[in-house]
Amino acid sequence: MDLVANNLSYKPSDQYHLNEVSFNFKEGNLYTILGRTLSGKTTLLKTIAGLLTPDSGEIEFDGKNFLKIPVWERNVAMVYQQFINYPHLNVFENIAFPLKQRKIDQSVINEKVMDALKSVGLLGYENRKIQELSGGQQQRVSLARSLVKNAKILLLDEPLVNLDYKLREQLREEFKNLFSKGLADETILIYSTTDPRETMELNGEVIVLDEGKVLQVGPAKEIFENPNSLKVAEISNDPPMNIIEAKISDNHISFEGIDVEAPQHLSKLTEDGLKIGLRSSDIELNENGHEFEVELAEISGSETLLHLKRGNTKIIVSIEEVLNFKINDKVKINFKIDRAYAFHADGKLASSPFGGLNG
Amino acid sequence: MNFKHKYFFLFPGLFVLIGILIFPIIFVVRLSLSGWNSYNPGLDYIGLENYIRLFTDDPRFWESFFRLSFLSVTTVILQYVIGFALAHMVWKDIKFKRFFRVLFLVPMMTTPVIMTVIWRTFFHESLGPVNDMLSVFGVAPKWLTDPVIAKFTVIIVEVWQWTPFMFLLLLAGLLSLPKEPFLAAAIDGASPVRKFIYVTFPLMAPISIGAIIIRLIEASKIMDTVYVLTSGGPGTSTETSSFYIFIKGLREFQMGYAASMSFTYLIIMIISLTIIAKVLTKLLLKE
Repeated sequence: MDLVANNLSYKPSDQYHLNEVSFNFKEGNLYTILGRTLSGKTTLLKTIAGLLTPDSGEIEFDGKNFLKIPVWERNVAMVYQQFINYPHLNVFENIAFPLKQRKIDQSVINEKVMDALKSVGLLGYENRKIQELSGGQQQRVSLARSLVKNAKILLLDEPLVNLDYKLREQLREEFKNLFSKGLADETILIYSTTDPRETMELNGEVIVLDEGKVLQVGPAKEIFENPNSLKVAEISNDPPMNIIEAKISDNHISFEGIDVEAPQHLSKLTEDGLKIGLRSSDIELNENGHEFEVELAEISGSETLLHLKRGNTKIIVSIEEVLNFKINDKVKINFKIDRAYAFHADGKLASSPFGGLNG
Repeated sequence: MNFKHKYFFLFPGLFVLIGILIFPIIFVVRLSLSGWNSYNPGLDYIGLENYIRLFTDDPRFWESFFRLSFLSVTTVILQYVIGFALAHMVWKDIKFKRFFRVLFLVPMMTTPVIMTVIWRTFFHESLGPVNDMLSVFGVAPKWLTDPVIAKFTVIIVEVWQWTPFMFLLLLAGLLSLPKEPFLAAAIDGASPVRKFIYVTFPLMAPISIGAIIIRLIEASKIMDTVYVLTSGGPGTSTETSSFYIFIKGLREFQMGYAASMSFTYLIIMIISLTIIAKVLTKLLLKE
């Protein structure tokens, strides 16, 4: 049973929330929608769920016109980024709610709810009030509520974004386990996120969305290795990929007075206005490197993000240890230039170290 | 805290409290133990005689009390149902939402006594427009002079006058509900009807209880409508407690006896409203 969308558009005001979005989701697969905030992820999920009606385009599920089916008759489950539960019901009643909407035997409901509670690790909490739970537990309740339905389509809208760092790691791990257990072979799982790392970890088919438009579709690895445009490269990397305006001639890349030998996959490019893309992790501190000035140093978790500047070029370097820098300190860095990407002036990928296009 | 002038600062508030609440109640209790009437005005002491008369020899008081219970419970239930329906209607995004919201409040902005006079004119048996229109069907109900129908006339006028208040409370409640559970309910497969039963109604329970209690208290004071519409008639068939107490106290000047009825009425109302609130809470909030 496939979920097929054709040219979905939604434009409530003068900006597109969805712009000619098409996809073909197959049962038993995990799809990740990657995009920055306001890129249309939630709109897309709401459209699939039936909470929004697109201005144009169509959705078909199992060969039937999905747009003609009211929300409550679509077999869809959804977990939101806010922890949405029923405040007037306790944990058990919350999870049983979708089952109670169908005519199901109470004993079957009990069994299913207990199963769901077990799979999200909340056994023993069934009589608690929702308000007595922590954020992470509330989100688990809404996850359990979406699992218990055995919905054919399971939508997860940035389910981890409002949780603190540690819980996010933990729940992400649990999600992965749940998903890999094969929820059911016929479920279509759609997961939206702004976090490229989450996308890579979930390792499903990725749809990169920006300003309501689908920019690239492909397996997570492919998106990471061969982003088809500058935009995708920015969205699929955190911190975003560094973009350096450089010249390539005579096998040399030059910018801001720096001159490095071009790796093989970039050596054939000679056109004007080329942009070199380099991940923040592909730049390292090196005594013999090129001198940059520190604009900002932020420590996140166990890594340090250095915002550096030289002339008009600004780059971000991530270092896998905690280091203290002062603003305006001078640091020396080296580029792993063989990992560099090149983009045409219009933003399209020109060459990638992983063999995209003419590499 | 040991502050020797504290009573000085408490005095203004205490004075008002004593003046308008505590003194009247105590005075009513004392009055109820006296035989004050138009022949013997004065606070003499006759013991529990008034209460004995009330509990053993005055079925009219108890009849008026049960009539009042019937009238107030019926009107409040009707007001709640109609008020909830109207509030639910303009809660959704419909056309002319603002217009309807104001329109539904109009009855509350009118003067009850004057509106009741107008209703009395409407329901006049031979000259009123209602029976004029009904004459097409060949019926002419005795709106104000039939003992049974007159009760429902009182109910109609009360419901018309005070449903807007219920509507206002319930609309405010609906507008303050979180939106998220409704999103979840739709996705969880609840049709609009089930969404109302399983989400809207339970979420509204605390507000509903408050609104119903407030209206019950208000409705038990019903007096002006009865006074203007039927003067308690025909006979005593629309006479309510407050109206009967008014007749005894301020028409027949049996002040002592009226005071004993007032005090009894107060105690019964406090007890029954407390019980009603408890029962409603148990029923609607399952606590």
